[in-house]
Order: sequence, then structure tokens, then C-alpha cells
Amino acid sequence: MRKMSAAGIHLFLILASVVSLFPFVWMLIGMTNSSSEIVKGKFSFGSELSNNVTKLLDMTNLGEAFWNSTVIAVVGTICTLILSSMAGFGFEIYRTKGKDRLFGLLMLSMMMPFAAVMIPLFRMFSQMGMLNTPSAVILPTITTAFMIFFFMQNTKSFPRELLQAGRVDGLGEWRLFTSVYMPTMRPTYAAAAIITFMNYWNSFLWPLIALQTQDKKTLPLIVSSLASSYNPDYGIIMVAIVVTTLPTVLIFFLLQKQFVQGMLGSVK
Amino acid sequence: MKKLLSVLLLVSMTASLLAACGSSKSSESTEKGAANESAGSTATKKVVAWAWDPSFNGAALKIAEELYAKENPGFELEVVDMAKTDLEQKLNTNLAAGVKEGLPDIILVNDPNIQKYVTAYPNTFADFTDKVDFKQFSQYKVDALTIDGKVYGVPFDIGVTGMFYRSDYLEEAGYKAEDLENITWDQYIEIGKVVKEKTGKYMATINPNDEALTSILLQSGGSWYITPDNKGNFVDNPVMTDTLRVYKGISDSGIAKPVTGWSEFVGSFNAGDVATVVSGVWQIASIMDAKDQSGKWKVAPIPRLNVEGAVNASNEGGSSWFVLDGSANKDLAIDFLAKTIGSSSEFYERFLNENGGVGSFIPSFSSEAYSQTSEFFGGQAIYSDFTKWSTEVPGITLGMYTQEAKDALKNELPNILNGADLTQSLANIQKLFEQQVQ
Amino acid sequence: MSSKWNKSNLMGWQFVILPSALILLFSFYPMIQSLLLSFQSGKGNVYNYVGLGNYGRLFSDPMFRQAVLNTLLYLIVQVPIMLMLGLVIAYFLNMPSLKFKGFYRTAIFLPCVTSLVSYAVLFKSIFAVDGILNRMLMSIHLIHEPVAWLMDPVWARVVIIAAITWRWTGYNMIFYLSAMQNIDPSVYEAASIDGASKTRQFFSITVPMLKPIILFTAIISTNGTLQLFDEVVNITNGGPGNSTMTISQYIYNLSFVYTPNFGYAATVSYAIVIMVAVLAFLQLKVGGEKK
Repeated sequence: MRKMSAAGIHLFLILASVVSLFPFVWMLIGMTNSSSEIVKGKFSFGSELSNNVTKLLDMTNLGEAFWNSTVIAVVGTICTLILSSMAGFGFEIYRTKGKDRLFGLLMLSMMMPFAAVMIPLFRMFSQMGMLNTPSAVILPTITTAFMIFFFMQNTKSFPRELLQAGRVDGLGEWRLFTSVYMPTMRPTYAAAAIITFMNYWNSFLWPLIALQTQDKKTLPLIVSSLASSYNPDYGIIMVAIVVTTLPTVLIFFLLQKQFVQGMLGSVK
Repeated sequence: MKKLLSVLLLVSMTASLLAACGSSKSSESTEKGAANESAGSTATKKVVAWAWDPSFNGAALKIAEELYAKENPGFELEVVDMAKTDLEQKLNTNLAAGVKEGLPDIILVNDPNIQKYVTAYPNTFADFTDKVDFKQFSQYKVDALTIDGKVYGVPFDIGVTGMFYRSDYLEEAGYKAEDLENITWDQYIEIGKVVKEKTGKYMATINPNDEALTSILLQSGGSWYITPDNKGNFVDNPVMTDTLRVYKGISDSGIAKPVTGWSEFVGSFNAGDVATVVSGVWQIASIMDAKDQSGKWKVAPIPRLNVEGAVNASNEGGSSWFVLDGSANKDLAIDFLAKTIGSSSEFYERFLNENGGVGSFIPSFSSEAYSQTSEFFGGQAIYSDFTKWSTEVPGITLGMYTQEAKDALKNELPNILNGADLTQSLANIQKLFEQQVQ
Repeated sequence: MSSKWNKSNLMGWQFVILPSALILLFSFYPMIQSLLLSFQSGKGNVYNYVGLGNYGRLFSDPMFRQAVLNTLLYLIVQVPIMLMLGLVIAYFLNMPSLKFKGFYRTAIFLPCVTSLVSYAVLFKSIFAVDGILNRMLMSIHLIHEPVAWLMDPVWARVVIIAAITWRWTGYNMIFYLSAMQNIDPSVYEAASIDGASKTRQFFSITVPMLKPIILFTAIISTNGTLQLFDEVVNITNGGPGNSTMTISQYIYNLSFVYTPNFGYAATVSYAIVIMVAVLAFLQLKVGGEKK
């Protein structure tokens, strides 16, 4: 009976993995085929890879876009994690009615569709003279109610005895946050980092509006302009997509160990 | 370990915040510098343009730049490429926010959007009425650019339509080239049935989610989704009624292969699944992508509707160049466009030879470039055929609510295809449209 | 006691003040502007004050009604399926004895990082008339002729629901997995010794312990679904007819596809805010925020 269920679980997970991985495989295959082969649905590796790569590098300044995306995603993720975890810690550990009300208000900010605030936001950044800079892309989402909420919910299971013990040892509140809370919550930070990095890396609508010159463009903007020509070359698009996807996969690889190691391990 | 981690985090936080601030500072100053430069001297010969296809309209601008720079040394053009929808979004956001910063001097506008932009953002686009000799352009193209007697841009590429067909399939079904000239849509459907029976191939593709075919049919009858004064044009419009009758006929007869998107549409003819493609002249590039089909294609005029005044010619898509009235380099941008895309036959010849683009500049039609024959199309002089048809395209006013009207139609189309009463359906569409544009 | 409480209260504010200020500046300031705009109507940059006119228009707008119904359908059908699936997968992947965990975890997470463009091209080609799915179904004789999935209003909605589930299940799984690390493994060991089955442990240990995170994902998913845009625009573009169109897509059309009426678009946006806020409030109530 035991064995049966283990096999069942594997079968289920294998099925889920195949379904999930399929598009990825398709992308990798597509990268090596010509546009008309992709359109016809050819599902085997071809010999167009170097051709597609050369054409892509010819048509776009991929390195520059990659660098722009990296700056925005890395700086943005670090700032967002620190600020949001501070707030999540503050709202949950020192919970008061006033703070609850403030948090409720903040929650409203994530319920507004972005298209509706884009124009006022754009006007605001224009007045601040910050359009066309990485800061303009990072700042509107540098703290989000979403991430604060995530940290708050995870903090609910944070063992408060640890804080008490720290206070007995004479640590100040900021020290408790940096040297007790932060290391203990490593799995939460890891998950938050993956999600936040992904959001910055893939963000499209706002960078499209806020970045104005060709040399500031991020990768998703490049992919989007490739995909919309009258006669799109899907081979080139596939290469661009693979390049765009890889860093997030890499970040996931690097961080996933963090949230399976377990909290207890990291406190010891 | 944990101390190290937290110290690291803090350090990187400060560093990154500083970096973020620093970068905003530095680029702010360079931005200001650039602004001063362009405001300070009209001698700057740099013009910025937004376009959406680097291998097509972007490339055209590069040709124009080369031509213009010969007479005007030091002239420089920067083309910013982005997707068409992205461009429209950016333009709308900038104009609605009233922010001039970051806007280009020249912008590419899709023809159905012309009136929408000019009306929604008054005093934003430069008047070209006296800058270009519009008599040299196809009338229907100029009609699209004219609002209240003023012409708001330079006509660029056109989408004059043709019926591309696989001569091998049609021969197999027993049809010769002349059997496909000057036919009606009802004849087209009959031919389609024979083709389907004899060759097993579909005659066409159909996509109820895409308005390309209905738009082509309407314009070939000299009508549009909306009237020139921006009212719905669904009720009591014989062209609209016949358009939907034909559309339903194609759908019902089983001669059309259903497709659900652009790549599927292109894939269907690249894979040889369909015998005809009714589309704009710019489709040539995608058709020629299937190199193994060289010599098997030909192109004939499109079929016509069964209403008075309907012709065997229409248009799908096409765009024009606008100049922003508030731009610092307005006069230079106007002069640049007027002297190249607005009056140079050489430009249009090169645009055709290098990028396969067809314009509406009549003097260029008699050039060598336009009379060339194509191996791929069995030696047919396709461009001179297309340009001949382009002079027959009925001129219409596209109005400012084209997209709203298309969506209202799309909403009811499934019912029409399922056999709902057409008069009732058209009344529904008209009502929905009026609700949308209040 | 009370002085200590006050001290702790003040302590707390120093953590929340900066992040809150940033949200107020970058989200609330534009939101207030947008609220003012929702009382105006016009086109482009020419507007008139219409009071509550736009809000009245909402109730007689058939497109808006259609968009709301579509969106609510996605919400009711898709969110529970996705969350349950994510939770079960996370639970399996958290079993100490399971092999190849790293592989499964990565594979199932991948869909949410895949670029939207490839995802759209892919889903369209899978569900195309002569796409892979039809070919498969025909080869096992489940159907005799190809189904035009994306042209049938019901199937098109099913495809959209499948697409969202495919893309976001792994995303939710991450939240569950990271939260499961906070459960002491000895709790499970003790339960096993007491003879509780795995299923039993799942419902009596995992689910209650994860309650805050389940609540979190429910609110986030509700919010995400009510703002659903990418999937629909890229896979069906709202069709056939307007049968898959969402509220966010309607806002987008009003702003950038139609003759722009940013005033009415702002009004529709506030309709979303109100719906999410009400649902989130209900979820928090039901989810038992009593502590």
C-alpha cells in the first residue's frame, strides 16, 4: 500500500512536470529552427541556431538590454526585500489597531489595475525629472503591499521567544530585526526574492512607458518589438525568449535550496 | 554566518540605494543637457522617429535619411523601434499626461487611428496641407488623412489587396487564370467548393476573431463600419448586409479552414493548406517565405460584392507619417518627410526593391522597380498589377471609432454565423456601438 | 505593562513608516488623481466634469457586464482548483523521503517565468485547429474531426482557465513550500507514530498550520484574477466575440485601443478596486483573522 501511493505520487508529479516543462522544451527546440518551420509546428531540433543567434545580435543590442534588466532587477529586488520585510516585521510583531488600519489602507494599492494609475504616475516622474532612468522603473514597486502582506503572514509563525531571548541579551529592536529575524526567516526571504526578481525582470507596461531611449530598454521590451513586425521571425524570437527566461530560472536554482533547508536548521 | 548575512544585506542595500539615486542624478543632468542643446540651437540636425517594424517602416526611414542627407549634410535620424501596440500606448500616455519629454518628432500612425488621434489630441499634430503635393498620391490614401479640410501627414505604405492563389491547385480543379479575374464572391465560393472537392485543399482561411476580411469587403463596396460623421453604419447599409452575407456564405460552405491567430494564418499558406489568400500587398513577404512554393503562386484582383458600386479592389492596413506640432525640430522633420517620402520617386523605388514596400506615390508606379516581374509569382509583374488596382480602391472616411465598431460587430458575429436573423443582429450591433461611444 | 506596550508600539512605527510612505507616495497619489479623473469624461486630453455620470454608465454598459461575468467565472472556477493543486504539490514536495524533489520543484515552477510571448504562441499552437491536442485526441479516436477550441465560447474559456492554472500553480506552490519550512518536522513524526495517515496529516496539520499563507494566496489570486489581462489578450484577444474578455482588458481597450476615454477607464478601475476590497474583506473574515 505504501509503495503504491509513492508510485502514485511520482506519477502525478511526473505528469505535472511534463506539462510544465513542455513549453520550455518547445522554446529550446524552436530556437534551432527557422521561422516557417516553427509556424508549421516542427517538433525536432534543427540547424538554424547559429543563424538565429547571429541575426538577433545583429538586429538588437542584446547585451545592453540584458545589463539594463539586470540592474533594475537586482537593485529593485534587494530594496524591495529589505523595505517590505521591515514593514511586515513591524506590522506583525508590534501589532496595534492603528497599524492594522494603515495596513488595510495600503492593501488598497494593490487592487488598482496598473493601467489606471499609469498616466498620473508618468506625470509625477516627469515632474521629478526621473524619466528614462532605472530608478523610475524601480521606485513605484520598491515596496508593495503584496510583499508586506507576504512577510506579515509568514511572521505569524515566527517564534517570538527568539525576540524575547534577544531582548534579555540586551539587543536593540533593529539588531533583533537584522540578526534574529532576518536569518530565521531565510526561507521566506528566498521565496520573496524569487518572486520579486521575477516581477522586476518581466515587468513590461511601466518600463515601456518610463524608459524612452533605445539604450535604456529592457529585455521584455526588445522581445515585444521583435514579435510585432509584419512578418515576425519566430526563430529569432525564440532565441530572445530563451535569453530572457534563463536568468529567472538561474535565480530559482540558486535560491530554492534556501527554502527547503528549513527554518530550524538555520537557527542552530 | 547570520551576522555576515545581515551585514552583507545592509551594505548592499545602502550601496544599491545610492546607486539608484546616483544614476537618476546623472541621467537627469544629461537629460537636461540634451534638452538645452536642442532648444538652444535650431542648427541641430537630429530628428527622432518612432516606428514599429525595423525591417519595414524603420528601414524605409533609413532610406529616406540617406536621400535627405545627400542634400543636407549633417542630418541625422534616430529611429526608435517598438511594437505597434506599444507605440500607441506610449503615445497615448505621453499626450494624455501632457508630457512632451521623450516624445519623438516623427511618428508612424496606422491609418484607422488617424482621425482618432487628431480629434482626441487637438493641436498636437502638424498640418501638412501646403507642404506636400497630395495630387501625386492615390486619392483614397489622401482621403484617410484629411480632416476638416486639413491633411495631417505624409502617406506612406498601402495595403491594396489582391487574391493570392496557388495556380497549381486551381489548375488541378480545372480553373485558369482568366477564370479568376473579375469574379464575384458568390463565384469565389463556388470555385472554392470545386477546389475542396477536387484537391482536398481549403479555398481560404477564416478567423471570426479578426476583422480583416470584413474590412476588405466593406471598403471594396465604398463603405465602412461607421459613417463619416462617426455614427454606426450597420443598419440600412446594403454594403454591410452583403458583406455579412458573403462572410456567412464562406463560413457555411466549408471551404474555409478555421484559424485562430496570425501565426496559424501564415502557417496555413506556408504549409500549402489553402488555395487562396485575400490580403494586402505586404503579405507578399510572408508568402515568399515558403521558398519551396516558388513559381506556384499568382495574384488576381479580389472578388467583388453583389451591390451597386462595388469594385474588385480594396485595401487592408497601411500607415502614414505624422509630425508632432510641439516638437523642437518640427520644421526640419516636415521638410525631411516632404522632400523624401512626400515627393521622391527614388525613395519609393528603393523601398520596393530593398524592403518590398508599396507606397501610393503615383509617379513611381511607372518606374522600373514597379514593373519588375517575380519568379516566385510565375513571372507575373505583381507590383504593376497591385498599383493598377490601388487606383481603383474606393476612398472612404475611416472615422474615429473604427475599433469600437469592430468590437461591437465581433460581439454579434457568432450569432450571425449561427443563423440569427441578420436585420435583428445588425440592429443589436448598432445599439451596442452607440452605447460604447456615448 | 502599559508603558511597555507603548514602547513596543513606537518601536513598531520605525519599521513601517518608510515603506508605508513610499506606497502612499507612489500608489496613493496616482490613485487619487485617477479617482478625480473618474468623475470626468471625454476623449484624449479634452475632458468635462460629469459627476457620477461614469458610474451610472457602468450599469448600462453591456460590454462591462460581459467582462465582469467572464472575470467572475474565471475567479470562481479557477482559483480554488489552482490553490488546491499548488498545496497538494507542495505537500508532496515537502515529504522528506521523496526522491527527485529538486527536479519536480524546478519543473513545476518554470511556467510562471516563461515569457508571455512564448507562452501565448505556444498555447495558440497547442489549441490550434490542427494543433497537437487535436491530433492527439484524433489518434486515440476520442474525436473524429478537429475541434476549433478557441472559436467556441465555452472551450475558449476552458483554455483560458487551463492556461492560468498552468502558469500560476507553481507560483503558489513556492509560497506554500517556503511556509511549510516553518512547520517542525517532529509534529509529523509524532502524528505518524499516533497512526495518522498522510491524508489525515495533510488536513489536520499542514492545512491549519498554513492557514495564514493559504489566506494570503487566496487574496492574492483573487486580486490577480480580477485584474487578469495578459493571458486573455495573448491567447484569445477576448474572443470569440467578447466571450473571454476581462475587466482589465476592457480598461486597456478604453485607454489605448478605442478613442481614449481615460475618465471612464478610471471608473471601471475603481469598480475592480471595490470588488477586490469586498472579496478580500470577506476572505479575511472567513479566514479567521482573530488573533
